[in-house]
Amino acid sequence: MPIGTVGLVRGMSGTGLAVLAVALVLTAAASWWLRTRDGRLRTAQEEEGVGGPTAVLEGLGVRPADADLTVVQFSTAFCGPCRTTRARLQHLQATRPGLAYVHVDAESHLEAVRELDVRRTPTLFYLDREGRLLGRSSGAPRPEELTAVVDAHTGARS
Amino acid sequence: MSQSPARTVDVRGPRFAAWVTSAVLAVVLLTASGWLAAVQAAVFAVGAAAGLRSAPYAVLFRTLVAPRLGPAREREPEAPVRFAQFVGLVFAGVGVAGYLLGVPVLGAVATGLALVAALLNAATGFCLGCELYLTVRRVRPVRTA
Repeated sequence: MPIGTVGLVRGMSGTGLAVLAVALVLTAAASWWLRTRDGRLRTAQEEEGVGGPTAVLEGLGVRPADADLTVVQFSTAFCGPCRTTRARLQHLQATRPGLAYVHVDAESHLEAVRELDVRRTPTLFYLDREGRLLGRSSGAPRPEELTAVVDAHTGARS
Repeated sequence: MSQSPARTVDVRGPRFAAWVTSAVLAVVLLTASGWLAAVQAAVFAVGAAAGLRSAPYAVLFRTLVAPRLGPAREREPEAPVRFAQFVGLVFAGVGVAGYLLGVPVLGAVATGLALVAALLNAATGFCLGCELYLTVRRVRPVRTA
């Protein structure tokens, strides 16, 4: 009962108390969402599997035919997790010959950012050798998940 | 964007600052104090304009907390944290205006949003201000070189 609580805590702002409660609930919900969903690989929808995204990425100089798996990362300067993710992918690239890694500065390619509907950084696109979009992820991927995705599409065959 | 090698900070510093900020913002909400909100806005402004070296909570962390914790094990670039201070300043600024100009609901809502961002950062390390950067850049008209 907000009214009762306000009555008990005299001198405090009722609106403030209500906003504080809402803020706490929102933060808890957001933390839960981040912990479970952030950085997850979302498999490409049928309709965007070929054509659109790949064409845009190829316009940025991405050549999927050169590797079993090409990972394209969009980053901005004001993005802490981007650096962590970049370092992780560079490390994976050094140890998995089938992996190609392309880093794109989102700010200098806003046209592509809009066409690909990149909303957050880092956003990663995963392309196979045929140029099919396997999926995308937003937010820093969990290290073990990233390694698993990369290994599933490269490691075994090389 | 600066081309110089990125300045870095001890990752625990911004997390500590986020906890302090959360506490201050919670008190702002409970007391509906525009002046306390103004103090927090000033703290954000110093961090955004002068960098984290001079940011009040960062100084507090360096002088009082860090010596008790031992050497930094992980560092992160300063730029994202600094940008987040700027985003915090915008929200706190709206909050101050709301409280001091007689629109306490606006003050409370703006402060509440800043609190969500600060608390989320303190608890998970997630930087909401940083995430907003691309969203803001996207809506601006395209300028190709």
